Amino acid sequence: MNIQPAFKKKFPVLWLLFVIVFSNKAAAQIDSTSAADSTLLKQIELQMQTNNQTAPRQTRSGISANPDIGVVADFRTSYISQGKKNFDAYLDETEISFQSVVDPYIRADFFVTFGRDPDTHKYGASVEEAYLTTLTLPAKLQLKVGKFREAVGKINPMHPHALPFIDLPNAYVNYFGEEGLNDEGASLSWLLPNKAFYEELIFQATSGASESPTFHRGDNNRFVYLTHLKNSITLSDNATLELGLTGISGPNDSSRNTNIAAADITYKWKPIKLNTYKSLTWQSEFFYSNAKYSANQMSNSFGLYSFVEYQIAKRWFLTGRYDYAQKPYDKNIVEQAYSLSAGWLATEFQKIEFQGKLTNVNTLPGYNEFWLRWIFVIGAHGAHQY
Amino acid sequence: MKRFLLIFSSLLIIISGAAAGPIKVVTTTMDMKSIAEMIGGNKVSVQSIATGYQNPHFVDPKPSYIISLSNADLFVTVGLDLETGWSPQLLTSSRNSKIQRGSPGYVDASEGVFLLQVPSSVNRGEGDIHIYGNPHYWLDPLNGKVIARNITNGLERIDPSNKSFYEGNLAIFIGKIDSKLREWTAKMAPFKGSKIIAYHNEWVYFETRFGLQIVDFMEPKPGIPPSPTQLVKVIKEVTANKIKVIISSPYFTTSSSDVVSHQTGAKVLILATSTGAFSNIKNYFDLFDYDIDQLVAALK
Repeated sequence: MNIQPAFKKKFPVLWLLFVIVFSNKAAAQIDSTSAADSTLLKQIELQMQTNNQTAPRQTRSGISANPDIGVVADFRTSYISQGKKNFDAYLDETEISFQSVVDPYIRADFFVTFGRDPDTHKYGASVEEAYLTTLTLPAKLQLKVGKFREAVGKINPMHPHALPFIDLPNAYVNYFGEEGLNDEGASLSWLLPNKAFYEELIFQATSGASESPTFHRGDNNRFVYLTHLKNSITLSDNATLELGLTGISGPNDSSRNTNIAAADITYKWKPIKLNTYKSLTWQSEFFYSNAKYSANQMSNSFGLYSFVEYQIAKRWFLTGRYDYAQKPYDKNIVEQAYSLSAGWLATEFQKIEFQGKLTNVNTLPGYNEFWLRWIFVIGAHGAHQY
Repeated sequence: MKRFLLIFSSLLIIISGAAAGPIKVVTTTMDMKSIAEMIGGNKVSVQSIATGYQNPHFVDPKPSYIISLSNADLFVTVGLDLETGWSPQLLTSSRNSKIQRGSPGYVDASEGVFLLQVPSSVNRGEGDIHIYGNPHYWLDPLNGKVIARNITNGLERIDPSNKSFYEGNLAIFIGKIDSKLREWTAKMAPFKGSKIIAYHNEWVYFETRFGLQIVDFMEPKPGIPPSPTQLVKVIKEVTANKIKVIISSPYFTTSSSDVVSHQTGAKVLILATSTGAFSNIKNYFDLFDYDIDQLVAALK
């Protein structure tokens, strides 16, 4: 900026007036600027004389105090190579979201789902998530209170429609169930003062009333406690690496403790310039569980999944996944599965996915499963976590 | 107790010391950054989340951006619904009350801009339409003045002691816009009314300011990739109107534009939609210099 500092310092008002007058004069001299442009220029100059933010001169549509409302539907067909009824078609889940800032201090997010019970085949409603998040706590702290998907690695905090595959990894389902670890309680997260990379420490205490196979509320006041450390490192403009560590401890259905240690690693590559055309994600999670069932009965087990998702064109995605899972109650029963899925995204509001999966269990005959799902969104839908 | 007070006061000094230094500004795009730098001068350090060669609708909300936002004193957004897919989540995650919507450190640069293409109804069947109007308003240099005014107001709200400094820089910015606009308008005058094709509907403010006429888009609807039917339609339009130029942006592939170019002889021009789109576009003024020079050369 070529400012004349001495002149400006001594005669700021004169300087300002000179520039404004000059600006007006210069604007008026633009021969090819139409009369309408001159009027616009005058309006802009008028706005410049006020110090407050200028009021919009147009009524802007969509202004409302209502929360953002969105509906996500997930329609599926499925086939399994065993059992009597091995083909099905159903609306797996309809999610209705209401999201808004409550006041200057907190925001609220509600997700109500309507899903079909796999046994009764009847549809029922449930609260998937309902929580508030603080916006103004000091010391880079953030508090979340309500019912929420807990911070176990990468899959659990995400809603299933955002995942690049239709089923959930075997190890994950064994420990946390089809609905994931999703409970009532409080979550406090702290953004660590690390300037080199993003580091967040999360501590959560929940009632343990979820449908997860691992934890159980029981008759006493023991809660499920979770700690997660998230590290996200920017490798380049196009690539990031995320490393996470999770520890969970809580009562099981034998009124004794189950402890789970988990680790996640995610590499993402997306060329920043053509980021809607190509991308690659490699993500893995590892789970180790130690469950005590009685004074002399204990079970240790291990599981993992690893997937690679590759975007081959603007609308096409391919994903390959490997699952390894020891049963939490008996590590000698081992499942291994191989999945391949293809997704076609018409727009951000609609995707069709197909998945095939081959599962081998060391104690049972292997079987195949196939799914086709069509996900569609209307209304507002916020961004998913990176 | 004495020791505790000493430690506490030392901590306060450290915290207040850490807060000193230039005002930390985070903008969503490079154009906002460029203008904020011109207004804030040496009183500010500015960082943009999106690069100049990135589609501003689709920025991945990487956690590293949360670090910048958590330490920011001022946040400048293009606004409307340009960044709706990523900036609200980043703001919430920043835990920074200074820059939340409604706080003194939140600047919506679109306030006061006269918007074009404001829809009378919203229907996603028309593609990615913008409910408030077309958000690519910075591509009219006159709107640069409104952006600058809004940024100046934001800086003055959080740093009133330097009000005259910011006002002085604003006046210089406005003067330069006026003088450059005269130059740009003169360069484009011979081509007023020239018909062109654009890849995406992001040029309406530029088109209106410089008197171009965009006949059609490569995308059949905003955000929908070009279809064979649309390509045939565009080829016919290019031939019928003797169109010389198809304009696109660095973040769109040129494969479909190249097909039309091959069939008709029209030239595909990759113009800059933001500061920093190409290495020689260092600031907001360079953006128009570049685009206008490219257009003038192609339309001759």
